[in-house]
Amino acid sequence: MKNPIIIIVTLFIFVVALGVGFLISDQYLGRAPEQPINFSHKIHAGTNEIPCMYCHSYAERAKVSGVPNVQRCMGCHKIIKTDSPEIQKVAAYWERKEPIPWIKVHNLPDHVVFPHKRHIKAGRECQECHGPVETMDVVKRLAPLKMGWCLKCHGKYDVENGRECWTCHT
Amino acid sequence: MKRRDFLKFIGAGGIGTGLGILFGQAIKPPGSKLIPYLIPPEDVIPGLANWYASLCTQCSAGCGVLVKVMDGRAKKVEGNPLHPVSNGKLCVRGQSGVQTLYNPDRITGPMKRKGARGSNSFEPISWDEAIREVSGKLKELSSKGEAEKLYLLSSSLGGHLGMLADDFMAGFGSSNSIKYDLFDNRNLRYANKSTMGLDAIPHYDIENTQYLLSFGADFASTWLSPVALSRGYGEMRQGGHSARGKFVQVEPRLSLTAANADDWVPAKPGTEAILALAIAREIVESGHYKGSDVSAWKSLLAPFGRTYAAGVTDVDKGKIRTIAKEFMNARPSLAIGGESISGYSNGVSGLVAINILNHVAGNLGIEGGVQPNSSDLFAGRRADRVGPGIDALIKAANGSGIGLLLHYNNNPAFTTPGSAHAVEAIKNVPYIASFSSFMDETTALADIILPSHTSFEDWGDDFTDPAPGFQVATLMQPVVSPVFKTRSLGDTIIGLGKGVGGAAAAKMPEGTYAEHLKDSWSGLYTRNKAMNASELTFERFWRDTLAKGGWWKESKPKMSKLKVSARSAARHISKEPAKFEGDNSQYPLYLIPYAQAGHLDGRGANVPWLQELPDPITSVVWGSWVEINPKTASRLGVKMGDMVEIESPYGKILSPVFVYEGIRPDTVAVPIGQGHKLYGRYAENRGANPLEVLPPTVDSRTGAYALNSTRVRIVKTGRPGDLVKMDVSTDELGRNIVQTVPPGGAPHKDTSHH
Repeated sequence: MKNPIIIIVTLFIFVVALGVGFLISDQYLGRAPEQPINFSHKIHAGTNEIPCMYCHSYAERAKVSGVPNVQRCMGCHKIIKTDSPEIQKVAAYWERKEPIPWIKVHNLPDHVVFPHKRHIKAGRECQECHGPVETMDVVKRLAPLKMGWCLKCHGKYDVENGRECWTCHT
Repeated sequence: MKRRDFLKFIGAGGIGTGLGILFGQAIKPPGSKLIPYLIPPEDVIPGLANWYASLCTQCSAGCGVLVKVMDGRAKKVEGNPLHPVSNGKLCVRGQSGVQTLYNPDRITGPMKRKGARGSNSFEPISWDEAIREVSGKLKELSSKGEAEKLYLLSSSLGGHLGMLADDFMAGFGSSNSIKYDLFDNRNLRYANKSTMGLDAIPHYDIENTQYLLSFGADFASTWLSPVALSRGYGEMRQGGHSARGKFVQVEPRLSLTAANADDWVPAKPGTEAILALAIAREIVESGHYKGSDVSAWKSLLAPFGRTYAAGVTDVDKGKIRTIAKEFMNARPSLAIGGESISGYSNGVSGLVAINILNHVAGNLGIEGGVQPNSSDLFAGRRADRVGPGIDALIKAANGSGIGLLLHYNNNPAFTTPGSAHAVEAIKNVPYIASFSSFMDETTALADIILPSHTSFEDWGDDFTDPAPGFQVATLMQPVVSPVFKTRSLGDTIIGLGKGVGGAAAAKMPEGTYAEHLKDSWSGLYTRNKAMNASELTFERFWRDTLAKGGWWKESKPKMSKLKVSARSAARHISKEPAKFEGDNSQYPLYLIPYAQAGHLDGRGANVPWLQELPDPITSVVWGSWVEINPKTASRLGVKMGDMVEIESPYGKILSPVFVYEGIRPDTVAVPIGQGHKLYGRYAENRGANPLEVLPPTVDSRTGAYALNSTRVRIVKTGRPGDLVKMDVSTDELGRNIVQTVPPGGAPHKDTSHH
């Protein structure tokens, strides 16, 4: 351990590996952050077959799909499963007149525009990007949401102007 | 390589990758949360804009606007294309309305004075306390039997808000409601009332005229209703209904409007009325005027001979004759009089002279001329008469005639001549409550401030005056939630009325001002046949009217017989030019303070967009200047950008020089709007206010302060000024950018065929 070259090379490998690990984490490992409420898409969209756009109601009308407002949650949960501790958490937010601070799972940088409306109008299924959400207890990001991934799909469906810079970077 | 080292490398790589992955996972998400609505607002879809129709209150023209609102934020203001005043267009002040709404220097909640009066030191209080305190002071005044000592000082309150304020004042027992704005057209209303019997400002039909003769009406920037008039002007010049109309502008400095004219006639300041009467005399003498009272006019106009007028006005005899000929032969023609002619010590006389000119040329009550507007404001009340002016308020305050002053949305401490000592007078008032949204020089004198919403947060309406020849009622609706803890002025008045009790409380409506407004419109709907003919129920009418932005029924204006009688006019005209303070030898230059498109009377100075907007003529930003003719500048030895003192017998201000060919050599001009001592970070301590050097001259008939009423001298300071202008040179430097055609048409150069 006395050879300075060995120490430098070891440190170098360590730093490179750190970067590689970070990239792997960022690019290929999905993420499933812990949410303020242990909400299960499996129960809602899977077992009970509630359509995605019942809660994400802006998806076919706007750029964003929208998270359901607290009133929408309480619309059902005033009656349904009021004894569950997780539902009681929702009710507590409602009582306090506070919105629920959900954590973003799918996030795009500001320099790219992804309009949900256009993709829905073009007939894409939510699952093509978001994965089989109806089977997930905790939502996990599966797609890398990188440009190459976007373009692959634009190529596959032969999207008009699908390779133009300004189509997404507006 | 030794085996041990190899293992070290493997270890470092493995641990590094692992830590990298952990680190990557740990920093996700990059702090982003998804915050949903608790209860979603109606019609709001994130990322999609809604456009709400409302009313612009940046000046009193009453333009209908559309406000783009996205995710609960007002983003952009445009003219409402359905609205007959704005016709889908909007001026700079209207466009910058969002910076009034989101201005960082707004008063954010009710406040009580802490330090000495005028020291701008306040502490926040609650709305309940504020209403309780002011009602208490009002009750105290009333119990002393001094109800008449309550004064309300405000800008002209349009529509039902004005009526509510009137009800409050009447219920309390005071008749002292003073409406004041620097450019409130007081002289114009008076001149039209006293010579033509008109209560409302008429519609000046520039659109359909063939010859426009304007005496200092800067309608492209600020006069009356600049958006509507500029659009009408565009139609007149290139609308294509008929031949392109001719346009002549008479004023001592070339304004933006004059820059568009075919001919600029820089008559000597203060003599424009004489020029107008000389033109009128030419018309009468030529036999064009066929009225039965022609002999009365002949004798009235006899003193205004061409030779006399040419000598006084500095306008060539031949020119007077040419204008007279063109003016009477072009059918229809139209004369208008704006700020520069109404701003003299005898402002009314100039405007009366213009009415005479329109009368003898036959321009009254015709298309393309002067058309009367109805003075009935839908509700069965009549348009504002010319009430007592700000000079009456100053007099009352100095004589301890004011016990309590309620103040809203005007700034006499800035917009009256320094020599009128408005600040000192207002300081005499024992108790002042202000409802203003911004801390300006007048609001800072208040003891308590109950700040009002700005127009994008509030309900209201306006009965457009001047209307475009038919009645227009514009609705104002809140397009965003209140940004701060402010209140609708209507609700504040109702709260005070109820707090005071007695007759004032009895006159206040039940419920909120918003409900009162809707109830009042329900009354209008019931009474007005044209309104209820088109819609089945009031609820449907209300919904559609809100969506459209108001109610109007475009129709050809009713042409009533308008005339000016020689007898009514005779009282107002005189052979004498307007008076200027200051001896000619000491103060050789006339001072013309004028309104700028962006700042109007100074109210735009706290809006950064308007500060950084280059003045359309000089291209100057973020400051003041004084326009000086190149000849005068070289005589004085000053050049572009030099700091000079502008000194009158009443004081002096500092301003950088702008050398300008478009001004008479015996005149200097300074824009109004800068020189605020208070009024937010963008306005304070910037430039100079020319009103500080004006004498307290008023036109005694109306109480309007005369803007063009003093001579000044220019004193070199030897220092450079702080002039920032966007253009480098007004010269085309031989590049032939502006190609001109000499009088008599284009030379026939090229006759070959292609």
